Amino acid sequence: VSDSVVILTLAAAVGAGTPLALAALGALLSERSGVLNLGIEGIMLVGAVTAFLAADASGRPLVGLAAGALAGGAFTVLHAFLCITMRANQIVSGLALVILGTGVATFLGQPVEGQPLSARLSGTPIPGLSEVPVLGRILFSHDVVVYGTWVLVALTAFYLLRTRTGLAVRAVGESPATADVMGIRVAAVRYAHVIASGLLAGAGGAYVILARVPAWAQAGTTNGIGWIAIALVVFASWRPWRALAGAYLFGAALRANFALQAAGVRGIPAELLAMLPYLLTILVLLVLSASDVRQRLGAPAALGVPYVRDER
Amino acid sequence: VSGLGARLRQVRIERRDRVHPALVVVVPLVSVLAALLFAAAFLALTGHDPLRVYREMLRVSFTTGYGIADTLVSATPLVLTGLAAAVAFRFRLYNIGGEGQLYVGAIAAAGAAIAVGEALPGPLAVLVTVLAGALGGMAWIAVPAIARAWLGTSEIITSLLLNYVALFVMRYLVFGSRSPWRDPASTTFPQGRRIPDAAELARLGTTRIHLGLLVAVVVALALYVVITRTRWGFTWRVYGDSPAAARYAGISARRVVLVVLLLSGALAGLAGAGEVAGRAARLDPQGLALGLGYTGIIVAALARYNPLAVLPVAALLGGVLNAGPALQSLPGARVPVAISTMLTGAILLFALAGELFVRYRLRLRDPDDAASAAEEVLAADHGPTAGVGATSAEVER
Repeated sequence: VSDSVVILTLAAAVGAGTPLALAALGALLSERSGVLNLGIEGIMLVGAVTAFLAADASGRPLVGLAAGALAGGAFTVLHAFLCITMRANQIVSGLALVILGTGVATFLGQPVEGQPLSARLSGTPIPGLSEVPVLGRILFSHDVVVYGTWVLVALTAFYLLRTRTGLAVRAVGESPATADVMGIRVAAVRYAHVIASGLLAGAGGAYVILARVPAWAQAGTTNGIGWIAIALVVFASWRPWRALAGAYLFGAALRANFALQAAGVRGIPAELLAMLPYLLTILVLLVLSASDVRQRLGAPAALGVPYVRDER
Repeated sequence: VSGLGARLRQVRIERRDRVHPALVVVVPLVSVLAALLFAAAFLALTGHDPLRVYREMLRVSFTTGYGIADTLVSATPLVLTGLAAAVAFRFRLYNIGGEGQLYVGAIAAAGAAIAVGEALPGPLAVLVTVLAGALGGMAWIAVPAIARAWLGTSEIITSLLLNYVALFVMRYLVFGSRSPWRDPASTTFPQGRRIPDAAELARLGTTRIHLGLLVAVVVALALYVVITRTRWGFTWRVYGDSPAAARYAGISARRVVLVVLLLSGALAGLAGAGEVAGRAARLDPQGLALGLGYTGIIVAALARYNPLAVLPVAALLGGVLNAGPALQSLPGARVPVAISTMLTGAILLFALAGELFVRYRLRLRDPDDAASAAEEVLAADHGPTAGVGATSAEVER
């Protein structure tokens, strides 16, 4: 019996970790090009509300997913413009995105507050693989977004670490002046990757409402997982596969209440369980910065600094 | 389009040698107007009448005596959370946990008032309550502050994540347990226990304006003096402008980080104490969770992190927040309350864009000048590297 509890918990962790993985992958792409995107939480909410409305109207969850990703990408153009063209403080700009995104999402979501989404994403177990004992249940009995996330992580890892364009992106994040001299268009690279982060965070937000939460709960729909995703990038030392692993780990923390209940533990206040993922994230950040310098080595050197050619 | 592109490429952005004083006022005002236009378009697209909404906003918050009083009540916590953000952000310490520090300040203030409010004479009970709030806020930033000072952990995410933890703590105390904070008489609809009258802040005449406003204004003035006129403020400014320069000057970065962040947390905690002792007279988890801490960051940014400018900006945004609930009950319109959040978020975005025009000027480049511009780039590449740290620090701000 305890075996199946473990398996169910791990399977739930993969599901709960998927929006985190998508958002963290987005934040990672933006940061690799040198732009900090703290707006993830707001972008996820914009993606989530758009996905709700689009899926509700069309009756198709995948239309909702696409709409959510596109809305996230479009919304993030604001951040790209402010940070790259207008040389704004990236931290404050990201916060502005969170506040505006929360405002827009709760404005548009007000009429459907508390309503469940009818067109939810249904599971698509992979034939054959899902019958494999243990692993089949944990990894291969989910929906298309879970599998799609693996593909995206693999593609991103290959793109960033194995292709010429990926090398150019990393050059822009490490030393934009050098990249500029090499003939790389710094602003264009940064625009592309900041907007990509919006597409992914928007998709992550969409997945939350399409598959994770039972109903639209305004800002409580994402409830801060966008911030955990940003912390995950540090945890993953800016590497895609580690971000995926970290996302599943934090997914397990998000489902801790489920696991404890299933294991027969009672009497822990719901609020205490709810704060667990946030405390765990803080603890991990503290331990990381206390234990080694790898976290600093992994960070793109030009992260957070606007690039101005004639002002170096 | 290509003609426009070519024209745009002729625009050169040059750093201003000094900030023009008029721009510091004009740019935020234009940002607010631009945000109003943006929100008007959004309202029109979602089937609301923007003019009607704005007229109602003016009436509810700015043009009547009642309205102005309500706006000032809403502005009181915003002055303090605005100062909390301003004092940290001004020195490039990004405490975005003002929201949680406000909650914990409120919890501490309510706790202190309930514990000792009956036993102490009025003024002392008020003092203990308010101080407890400041200490509560300080305690909530302590871990991010110490981690930043000693381990170099970025305070951004740690301070932010604690907002969620604080919210759950507050809910637990009132909704999730039979704690001393909970009104024992409320069984079906749990609410906070009323604090003793002695611990409540005095009110101005028959209005809801309370002593907290005076405290907030005095704190703003004091902070301005500390930052601009004292040795402490000087070391903070040196650190904020260039941590490297501060190190050479023998300024302890750890001490600056710790003192500034703890002060920031105390200010946000004070805002929470004010809401408990001046407004709700109890720990009210729903009524506190309005995003006052986040809005404080907008106040600070719009005030360009100047403590004195925080006062008028807080009044303006206080009016916007105050109007939200009234708009929802607008007959036949029912504009979602979130219009306030949207509007404040848009104001911040436009103010950030406007910063470029405060710090830089745009100049049309002479087409013949292209060659000399290229030379400049080369010169910059091979120029002296000393001061690069200071320059990039300046750009980042």
